[in-house]
Amino acid sequence: MSTELRIEKVSKSFPGVKALNEVNLTLKGGSVHALLGENGAGKSTLIKIITGVYRADSGSLKTNGEEKFFESPVEATHAGIAVVHQERNLIPEFSVEENITLHNPPTHFGIVDQGERTRMAKEALQTLGFEINLQERVKNLSVAQMQLVEIAKALVTKAQIILLDEPTASITSGETVKLFEVIKKLKDSGTAILFVSHKLEEVYEICDTVTVLRDGQSILESQPLANYKQSEVVDAMVGRHLADRKVELREVNRSVAPVLELIDVQTVLGHEKISLSLYPGEVLGMYGLVGAGRSELARSVLGLHKTTGGEVKINGQVVRINSLRDALHSHHIGYVTENRKEEGLFLDFPVRKNISVTVLSKILQKLGIISFQKEDAISSKYVERLGIKVVDNNQLAGTLSGGNQQKVSVAKWLAAETNILIIDEPTVGVDVRTKASFHELIVELANAGLSIILISSDLPEMISLADRILVMRDYELVENVSNTKDYPTMSRAVMTAIHSA
Amino acid sequence: MSTTLKIRRIISDQRVVLTALTVGLFIYFGLKNSAFFSTDFVIYPLLRDGAVLTVIGLAQLCALSIGHLNLAVGRMAAVAALASGAAYQYWHLSLVPGLLIGLIVGSSLGFVAGVIIVKSQVNAFIVTLAMDFALLGFVTFVYVTFTGATAAFITKPKGMEFWRNTSLHQYCVGGFCGPKVFPMMLVPAIIALVLVGFLYAKTRLGRELLSTGSNLRAAKLSGIPVDRRVIIAHTLSGLLAALAGVMLAFTNGSFTASIGSQFMLPSFLGPVLGGTLLVGGSVQVLGTFIGTMLTLVIRQGLSVQGIGLETLNIALGLVLLTALSLGQIQKMFTAIRMRGRT
Amino acid sequence: MNFKLFFKHRATELSLSIIFVVGFVLLVATSGGVLLTRQSLQGFLTYLAVPIVIGMAQMVVLAIGQMNLAVGAMGGVSAAMMAVLMADHHLPIWLALLIGFLSATAMGALNGALVVITQLNGFIITLGTMTILLGFQYRLVRTFTVDSYPKSLPDFGNKSILGFPLILVIAFATSVLLSLFFSRTMAGRRILATGGNQIAARLSGISNGRSVFLAHTLSGSLVGIAAIITISSLPGINRSIGGDWMLASFAAPIIGGVLMAGGTVAVFGTVVAAGVVRLVDIARAQYSLDPSIVSLTVGIVVLSTVALSEWRRRRSQRALEGKKVSG
Repeated sequence: MSTELRIEKVSKSFPGVKALNEVNLTLKGGSVHALLGENGAGKSTLIKIITGVYRADSGSLKTNGEEKFFESPVEATHAGIAVVHQERNLIPEFSVEENITLHNPPTHFGIVDQGERTRMAKEALQTLGFEINLQERVKNLSVAQMQLVEIAKALVTKAQIILLDEPTASITSGETVKLFEVIKKLKDSGTAILFVSHKLEEVYEICDTVTVLRDGQSILESQPLANYKQSEVVDAMVGRHLADRKVELREVNRSVAPVLELIDVQTVLGHEKISLSLYPGEVLGMYGLVGAGRSELARSVLGLHKTTGGEVKINGQVVRINSLRDALHSHHIGYVTENRKEEGLFLDFPVRKNISVTVLSKILQKLGIISFQKEDAISSKYVERLGIKVVDNNQLAGTLSGGNQQKVSVAKWLAAETNILIIDEPTVGVDVRTKASFHELIVELANAGLSIILISSDLPEMISLADRILVMRDYELVENVSNTKDYPTMSRAVMTAIHSA
Repeated sequence: MSTTLKIRRIISDQRVVLTALTVGLFIYFGLKNSAFFSTDFVIYPLLRDGAVLTVIGLAQLCALSIGHLNLAVGRMAAVAALASGAAYQYWHLSLVPGLLIGLIVGSSLGFVAGVIIVKSQVNAFIVTLAMDFALLGFVTFVYVTFTGATAAFITKPKGMEFWRNTSLHQYCVGGFCGPKVFPMMLVPAIIALVLVGFLYAKTRLGRELLSTGSNLRAAKLSGIPVDRRVIIAHTLSGLLAALAGVMLAFTNGSFTASIGSQFMLPSFLGPVLGGTLLVGGSVQVLGTFIGTMLTLVIRQGLSVQGIGLETLNIALGLVLLTALSLGQIQKMFTAIRMRGRT
Repeated sequence: MNFKLFFKHRATELSLSIIFVVGFVLLVATSGGVLLTRQSLQGFLTYLAVPIVIGMAQMVVLAIGQMNLAVGAMGGVSAAMMAVLMADHHLPIWLALLIGFLSATAMGALNGALVVITQLNGFIITLGTMTILLGFQYRLVRTFTVDSYPKSLPDFGNKSILGFPLILVIAFATSVLLSLFFSRTMAGRRILATGGNQIAARLSGISNGRSVFLAHTLSGSLVGIAAIITISSLPGINRSIGGDWMLASFAAPIIGGVLMAGGTVAVFGTVVAAGVVRLVDIARAQYSLDPSIVSLTVGIVVLSTVALSEWRRRRSQRALEGKKVSG
């Protein structure tokens, strides 16, 4: 029987959120199948179910006719499924050759057969048309090279089904060309390839079929890509009603001094000649793909990384921000981080302690003692304002749902009453309703005078919220447009900026 | 809240369980051998030792609060005691100034550790381990150099006997005198408990320390000056270690090189049994006292039975491992209950 | 063979070897050649054996990113056990040694099992087992020194092969075997994979729990060998045996280039580092320096080595954080 992966009516729920709702997808050998969807649509959950990391709640998974959900990644590998994740899963101190053969190293009675290992690795690399020193330690490779090593690793396991998760996210266009040659070769030899990506241009270049996920449901199911225009696919991803929604243009006063201005800023991380202006009450969007350098720029502005050139001005005055504490207390800039669990919240602390952490100086009685009354007051105020669903102020942040956790991580900045707020990917992994209320909140805050820099990879979100859109690519600003909020034109403008050579 | 719920809450409080266990064992040992209840020979020394070990437990607690370990608590105590002893012996200082010298030395050592940890970004474990070894020979060296074969500073400042041997029985109010079992040495321990407890429960600094321990990155990104807080935590650790060192010297009656050499394990047992998390972000100050008392009751109880030092060590090691294992098992069950899989 | 790559990967070992040779030559020169006498050399080489093996014992656990604080206690207990078995129970030498070795291995296995089951760090677990074992050690030998075991043992221990003390040869042989274990066997590679990237290892079907368990057990076996060497070379066993093993067990591998984060081993580096530390000891004796100076120096060197490797690691991480460079 030829290679086939058939997903039928698969559902998966987590506490508080239904990640997948009766999803269908059929992946056939000899084809490249695009899996599209916004952040949080369910793509990575689906991949985790296919590879045995999660177990589905219901539905079926048929691999080459055999119906079985895998209990572990190892089982999936044995069934001929290989995945190349977005994050690298290599052993840094091991050689290229050893990493390639990590899934099935050749041994005789427990001793490694180095000759056979070299042969296997060489063969895989040859198939890919990729040259590299087999003995080099993987930690010294570039990201693109590491990715190719992972694909070689997949080949060595004789995988018939290969899942590629955002393979071109952190590689250059030249390297992408090479990658696509490899993918074509694999396809021609009968392998089934699942291609997950945000870059529509590339998807149209290499994929034959498409499945679009939106809010956990499969909207377009395993359809020939050729039957759909890009805009139709985008509509499916985003939902027609959102694209249709009339969004109002806001008035931003640009005749006063910008609250925040960057002039030719260079950073130690590689940013060059970044210039931007943020005006009072403006929502300035920064769009880009993963690895474009937006969060890194934000962190540099906040003093977490060094700026090596250019000027930063706040309300017309040149400033030097050396630490986040400086940024918060002296310049009233707040930062809602991207990874709320790792960087935005204290999961073991109750909600009230999470909210008050930025304003500890304001809730003191005499002698530096914290007033629990004041703390409760502030906490309740913002819990109500943001509609955070908690039993009481003492509920631990770790027990809240994703959307509520995100609200808590925003609440602490509202409590701090900052003038400027940098919001980094606020609605990742958040359900639709919470997303919508967040968007309302952002507009509300901006209308009240807060100046916001919104970093987002969610194009519809960007277009509906931002007054101005900056596009970043490879640590450079490549576009700066006024947002007409007309989805078709704006999305085209932004996409062009992203993909222009 | 209903009564049953209230009772359940009380029972599941670790401190209550510990206290019950301590009291229970206390009674058990006493019943087995009435000599255990001797005020002068057992209870008084037990509480006095408890005072010293509680303070060293608090020293470790300060490091644990930010998720660090201070492996040099013993050595810091030793160096501080050495400084105080030298102050008494050579500069003829009175009790309080001499004590202050020791406290300053201990804090400075803690401060240095904190600075090294922050500047070099090396794990606190390694830094304090290296400090422990670096100071190891230093202490013996100084004692031997200055006092030759005695290897001790034996000058007793005025007042040492008072703190060492008297009890609350000294103080009588309206015909009622304090209990004879209550050693004066408990007073500094209680002061330390109150101050440290207050720090972590009520003050901004304490909150920032716990936030740093709970999630370092989030703390930094919330505007907390984490570097400065790390240094403060270690300085406090050194300060309390110094206090414990001087208290022990007072208890022994002299300042020797062996002070602090037995502090490492007790410094962990107290806090860990008492519910302070090794990973940081949560401390139990009163629990440290109860945990320390529990281990001492076990020690004294076994000792009165005639069971030797070695079995004691075995017992304490087992207690530590069991307490930790139980804590982990509890965590595992909660995790399993919370998600279906993964 | 790619020479540039070869040397790039072995910078630490090279520099250590150079330090060793230079140091040795210096000591020989300043001692007026005394160091080169048969006796001095024998002494130097003999006292090199135990540090090498206990350095290996710690290295194995460092490889999975953990630490074994109980190295000294494990060694003390198994040496005490062997001594008592021979002296009091008159067990034949080979049997006593075997039991000692097996018991040390068992102790390591216990550590490993506890770490895996409780998911706690090796530090706190081995702190606990160390305490328990110290109690056992005292129980076995009390305040006595057990020295009434058959003479044939120390006789055997003092033998030499081609001028090298037998026990040193055993230490070297162990190192070679260990090196082969980590470079050639799947079990060894799996341990390093677990130490290098737990997640990647798991995705490749490697059982991290098994790696951890094996590493700790192996550490125990190595401690057992060190105990055997000790009992073969010392006149008597008392409760102080193993007391100073802990620092030495860390110093050699860390200075030798083993990363605390796990994922690497450096057998050659550890051996040479043990040699360098021994040289410091000799220098101390030769110049009548204070023992505290040795402790201080070793403490500082260990700290600097770790700080340096941390700094290097952060620097390369920061380079990765910035613009992604290809090629």
